[in-house]
Amino acid sequence: MSVNKRFLRRIDFTLIGATALIVIMSLIIIGSATHVNTPGEERYWFVQRQGMFALINAGLVFFLMNFDYKLLQRYGNKLYVFNLVMLLAVMLFGHTALGAQRWIAIGPIHIQPSEFSKLIMIVSLAGILEPRIGKLNNLKDLAPVALYVAVPFLLVLKQPDLGTSLVFIAIFLGMVFVSGINLKMLFGLFAAGTALLPVMWQFLKEYQKNRIMVFIDPNVDPLGAGYHIIQSKIAIGSGMVFGKGLFEGTQSQLNFLPENHTDFIFAVVGEELGFVGAAFLLVLYLVVLWRGVEIAKGASDMFGRLLAVGITSMLGFHVLVNVGMTMGIMPVTGIPLPLMSYGVSSLTTNIMAVAVLLNINLKRQKLVF
Amino acid sequence: MIEDDEYYGRIKVLGWCMIFVVAVLIARAGHLQVYDGEKYAKLADGNRIRIIPTMAPRGTFYDRFGTPLVVNRPGFTVSLLPLIAPVSEDVIIKLANLLKIKPEEIHKKIDAHVGFDPIRIKTDVTQDIVTILEEQKDSYPGVVIEVQPARNYILKEEGAHAFGYVSEISDEELERRKSEGYKSGDIIGKFGLEKIYDAYLRGEGGGEQVEVDVSGKPVEILGRKEPIPGADLYLTIDKSLQEATEQAVDAQLAAINAHAAAAVVMNPQTGEVLALVSRPAFDPNLFVGGISSKNWNVINSNPYHPMDNKAITGEYPPGSTFKIVTGTAALAEGRVTPEEKILDVGHHWLIPKGNAGGEALGWINFLEAMAHSDNVYFYEMGNRLGIDLLEKNSRIFGLGEKTGIDLPYESEGLVASRAYKEKVFEEEWYLAETFDAAIGQGFNLVTPLQAAMVMGEIAANGKRYKPHLVNKIASQDGKTIKVFEPELLGELPYAKSIIQLVQAGLHEVTKYGTAAGVFAGFPVEIAGKTGTAENPHGRDHGWFVAYGPFDNPNVVVAVVVEQGGYGSQSAVPIGRKILEAAFHIVPPQPAAQKAAQ
Repeated sequence: MSVNKRFLRRIDFTLIGATALIVIMSLIIIGSATHVNTPGEERYWFVQRQGMFALINAGLVFFLMNFDYKLLQRYGNKLYVFNLVMLLAVMLFGHTALGAQRWIAIGPIHIQPSEFSKLIMIVSLAGILEPRIGKLNNLKDLAPVALYVAVPFLLVLKQPDLGTSLVFIAIFLGMVFVSGINLKMLFGLFAAGTALLPVMWQFLKEYQKNRIMVFIDPNVDPLGAGYHIIQSKIAIGSGMVFGKGLFEGTQSQLNFLPENHTDFIFAVVGEELGFVGAAFLLVLYLVVLWRGVEIAKGASDMFGRLLAVGITSMLGFHVLVNVGMTMGIMPVTGIPLPLMSYGVSSLTTNIMAVAVLLNINLKRQKLVF
Repeated sequence: MIEDDEYYGRIKVLGWCMIFVVAVLIARAGHLQVYDGEKYAKLADGNRIRIIPTMAPRGTFYDRFGTPLVVNRPGFTVSLLPLIAPVSEDVIIKLANLLKIKPEEIHKKIDAHVGFDPIRIKTDVTQDIVTILEEQKDSYPGVVIEVQPARNYILKEEGAHAFGYVSEISDEELERRKSEGYKSGDIIGKFGLEKIYDAYLRGEGGGEQVEVDVSGKPVEILGRKEPIPGADLYLTIDKSLQEATEQAVDAQLAAINAHAAAAVVMNPQTGEVLALVSRPAFDPNLFVGGISSKNWNVINSNPYHPMDNKAITGEYPPGSTFKIVTGTAALAEGRVTPEEKILDVGHHWLIPKGNAGGEALGWINFLEAMAHSDNVYFYEMGNRLGIDLLEKNSRIFGLGEKTGIDLPYESEGLVASRAYKEKVFEEEWYLAETFDAAIGQGFNLVTPLQAAMVMGEIAANGKRYKPHLVNKIASQDGKTIKVFEPELLGELPYAKSIIQLVQAGLHEVTKYGTAAGVFAGFPVEIAGKTGTAENPHGRDHGWFVAYGPFDNPNVVVAVVVEQGGYGSQSAVPIGRKILEAAFHIVPPQPAAQKAAQ
């Protein structure tokens, strides 16, 4: 009984609650965004599909509670290789959508390996960083770690999936920061990175350059990407304080907003639920991120801490870039809003990420009260 | 919990970063929704943002000397902006009167429209209407003028099969090519070079993003994007030679009362196509802005298929032009020496097949046989080679496969072979069929382009260059985007002496052989070969292939006249006129004309 009680106390209900609330909001908003443009009987197809996978994942989380995350460290390198194979498979057999090759079909399910690759990256990176904590003092120390990340990073960039490759950088920076990287070197890297930007620019696809140009000046492409940003801003702004009400957003319902159930879902929240709803959702994210940081602090080992930091960095970066994009303060890079955007691969990855956080919390040694 | 280590503090920094991120986002949301909320609510409510597209002008086609062949003319389309409120009846009636159409037609278009791009009411309106609408903007709320340059095929039917035509994208094409950036209502190349090079030619549309009020009046221009004109094609076509070829073909068809023909003129040393003609032809201008059903019926009911590019799609038995392949193969495979004489008694001794009209030429060698196109000699060559070697050498010449020309719908032709007969007829091969194959009858099929390629390979001492119609693609401001260098596809693996023998044989054709009459007194040395292909469906098809100048050939010609009868009478006169034009020879005036002067 007491064991059970202790076990129960160690379950992070705050994190579970915030996650569940976000997913429930997601289902409602996806329903609102898609039901008008989907024909009759299949009106709620997207909601049903997303909901079904949310339930399957919730079940998985339950099972994963009995699993010790520490085992993951042993499989780090195997997972890493698996990740590379998966990304290569996309390149070779992938489906092309909107100029990018991101999907592989397994039966009726389309899998987007770059989504899963983020979480796998976190696990394998935590595995090789753990013995290097406090020993990242010069470029020679950092080189193997950087190289380790660079390979999957380049594969994702090649798809091309600029957004996900930037997420890799965010994860990398968050994790090496907490691993005690020499700060002078970190700033040096930033400086070098900035200096290399013009070179990297050459490697971008035309449409990627375009998106970044549009971010700097939406009038560069007022009919394409710039149009999306302007429409998204109008949607969010016109929601005002209390919103137009669910299913009432004219911008979203009349198809002014592209991708309104995936990348631009925050615009639907802003339009239909207003500032109140948008701020509520952002606070829910803050709760998740705050729990991530706390779990990192309380982790029983450094591997767990690194995992928690990686996951928190990933989620935080996603929220910043996605929501920022819909409000015109970040470029359009096409990364989903975690737990909100429609997409089975993304949903599964993020719920698994939360499950890892829960698991780390379960194994903590001292109760922090 | 692990011990507080020196980096524990860094996690706190991370925590502060997260708070900062969310705080920034909430602040931004507050700015948009609370501070600027009214402004955006107004934009989203009564006012709407609309896009008025401007179509990019398509790239121009120039001939090899820079003369325009296909251009654009300014075009304007009157459209209605789709609004939440219905367009007022007054405006519809006024607009109907101005455009001289029925108001119901406008209603029909509004009802059929979905989405928020402008509803196109009438394309290609006159400048007067544009001026009226511009001046009286206020009395036509919701009506906009879209700039849509229209394609102008200034040469009309000339070169139509090479240039192709454009038309609005079909639903099915749209579905297939959405990811390439095609949108509903786009103009797309459907045929010819317009189709192959569409991605270069179409440019990138621009337009204006305007804020309009409830009645559709523009309130503010939010953004503008200038269209990027499509890239220009600099063709290998020589306009004057193209015209001469067209005229030569037309004149001959009229003279002998035939209806269909094709001609290809190329430079054998580069693969450049100098002229390409197919008859009957069509006027690509009919397709601009959608072809009327009346015009379409006219084209469709023509039994000679004007829409087929017979120069690359038409498959004909090569007839005696195939003796080039048989002859080269027999020499190369060592089945005959140039000196060996064969007795032609009017028919072959194994199978009673002979020359047309049963003519007997007696003892003849390779050169004489080629010059007179002697069937018995080449039956014997077929007999000595066998069908397998004949097939092998046909394929060495590139027959039975596409040449790879930059035009759509090219045919492969057909090489007679055991495998083909087995597959299609499930029967074994007979010797008589080898005989037929040796003189280009039976199963063999070639396109006029392939015939020109075979002749071109002989002309270029065995080199086979990829046929192409475009030399260069350049942006409108003159920046070169792509240059097409001659591309060597292969080289005949025959000794130079053998190719020279074949060249000599073909030279004799215009000296004392089957084309000597028509080429008597021709000032440039020409090598040629006539052909008459038996046609089970009607009169024979006439063939002529030629190249010149003999010593340093830069022009190769292939002509076929469907149901034209003997090649020497139907196709050779066309070939002569083309070569006259190619070498800028002023033809001697006919006696009657002289007399009239």
